[in-house]
Amino acid sequence: MNPRERYTAVMHYQPRDRSPIMDFGFWDETLPIWQEQCYPAGVDPDLFFGMDPQWRMCGCIMGLWPPFPGLQLVDEGETEIVQQADGVIVQRGKFLGSIPRHLRHTLVDRDSWNAFYKPRLRADDPLRLPSGPAWEMQLAEWTRPDRDYPLFIEAGSLYGVARNWFGLERISEIMYDDRPLFEEIVETLADVVITVLEYVLGAGVRPEAASMWEDMAYSGGPLMSPKLFKQILVPHYKRITATLNKYGVDIVFLDCDGNIDLLAPLWLEAGVNTMFPIEVGKWKADPIEFRRRYGKEMRLMGGFDKHILMQGKDAIAREIERLAPLVEEGGYIPTPDHRVPPDVKFEDYLFYVKEAKRVWGKGLDNLKPTGVIGG
Amino acid sequence: MADLDLDQLYYAIVDGNAKAAAAVTKEAVDANIDPQTLLTDYMIPAMDEVGARFEANECFVPELLISARAMKAAMEIIRPLLLGKAVEPAGRVVIATVQGDLHDIGKNLVATMLEGGGFQIVDIGTDVSPDKLADAVQTHKPQIVALSALLTTTLPSMKRMLDRLVQDGLRAGVKVMIGGAPVTQDFADEIGADGYSDNAAGAVTLARQLVGVAA
Repeated sequence: MNPRERYTAVMHYQPRDRSPIMDFGFWDETLPIWQEQCYPAGVDPDLFFGMDPQWRMCGCIMGLWPPFPGLQLVDEGETEIVQQADGVIVQRGKFLGSIPRHLRHTLVDRDSWNAFYKPRLRADDPLRLPSGPAWEMQLAEWTRPDRDYPLFIEAGSLYGVARNWFGLERISEIMYDDRPLFEEIVETLADVVITVLEYVLGAGVRPEAASMWEDMAYSGGPLMSPKLFKQILVPHYKRITATLNKYGVDIVFLDCDGNIDLLAPLWLEAGVNTMFPIEVGKWKADPIEFRRRYGKEMRLMGGFDKHILMQGKDAIAREIERLAPLVEEGGYIPTPDHRVPPDVKFEDYLFYVKEAKRVWGKGLDNLKPTGVIGG
Repeated sequence: MADLDLDQLYYAIVDGNAKAAAAVTKEAVDANIDPQTLLTDYMIPAMDEVGARFEANECFVPELLISARAMKAAMEIIRPLLLGKAVEPAGRVVIATVQGDLHDIGKNLVATMLEGGGFQIVDIGTDVSPDKLADAVQTHKPQIVALSALLTTTLPSMKRMLDRLVQDGLRAGVKVMIGGAPVTQDFADEIGADGYSDNAAGAVTLARQLVGVAA
């Protein structure tokens, strides 16, 4: 099987040779620290560890167009203040992999929405919907019958991007101070997503899955009430998944860190049927429990507690074995539940990869070798 | 003013209605009702109710924030009046996000809830060094130091901050409470913190326990 066939088979509970063996990437600091533990400098980790290829993305511009000009406003030495392409002024570390701290938001109310954001979210902007030879070449690659890698189509975000534009505190206030504005923003975002999906899928592209992103939960649960989520967001998720389903895209993947217990059933109700990365956290999320609770309709990706990677080889081996029946059942691709932090020892991650290939990959000879540069 | 119903202040805060909270408070002040009564009998209980609902998943971050905004609107009106009285806060809290971490949402939520719970807050910001924390403790003499971290990699900073308080002879004079996504009770025990809460509402209960104030 090639990776495309394997991905499709796993997500549809069909017979396959083995599970894909994938990772979730690394903190910026991790590989430099591992170099002191014999990881070779300058080597692509996917090549070194012999991971299966990640999916590739297709689609066209779904975000703000044109973007705000990205500008460095203040150089503070180790940190800098910049205006991002989404209009938000942030302070960010130049060297650490820290999430930027929002300092000021261009989007604060209906006036700023109308002036700066709504004009950048025109669904019918011809620049979103490209044509010409370069686009035709791109389409030819995505529709190539012998394409051997999984292809995902970008399917946007209905809350996460708006939260980034407003900031958590202001978008929370807007939900109550100006509910029609919040609803208009969600509807506008969904309109753009659907227009782009229709354009790409209508051109004959048939991806294996669609990919959404929200990051709208933290350790304590969702960042908005499930009641409002159901009232305001679910109808638009349904519009998006109906569009995808119309073109045969039946795997809709959603990236949301944090404790998603209260939102997962609502996403599933809306046709968003693949949860990623099942961050385990101190709330002890468990992909096995997700399957028990929601059945096979909910697919899963991630769910291997990154903290276990810090607990040594015995703990790693036990967790790989614990998850093995779910991997065998299908509808689940195990990966660490977030990027691998520098606290993990290189030799333990190497052990994790080798053990994952042995157990989840069934030790087949179509697995790429581990620890062989360029293998 | 005989018709003034102070329960409206309680419900305005619970419902997150800042305009109503300010209006009732203004009316009450104009009617010479003791601002301390407004604070302790209506405003703090309202935020306690919001905190309880938050912990029970009956309300969420947006509802918490708009209730806190309503509380602040009422506080703006009574704060100048409280300054003229010998009113002691439940306690003084120096709050910070630890060195190496620029995140402030969790810290701000906890600060807001603690303020709603009657504590005086000294927010010394994010990416706070042990030096800056020690200076703030010496200057403001809090009963509580509250430390937040979002990144796993900045957890060691919490230990360094506690060590610095010990080194400077300040640790015995303050209770230290910690929180944030990667923080657990085990970690709190490991570094010798006095308490840990996994949410902003629980932080108020914890702070009250640490300073021996009844809810």
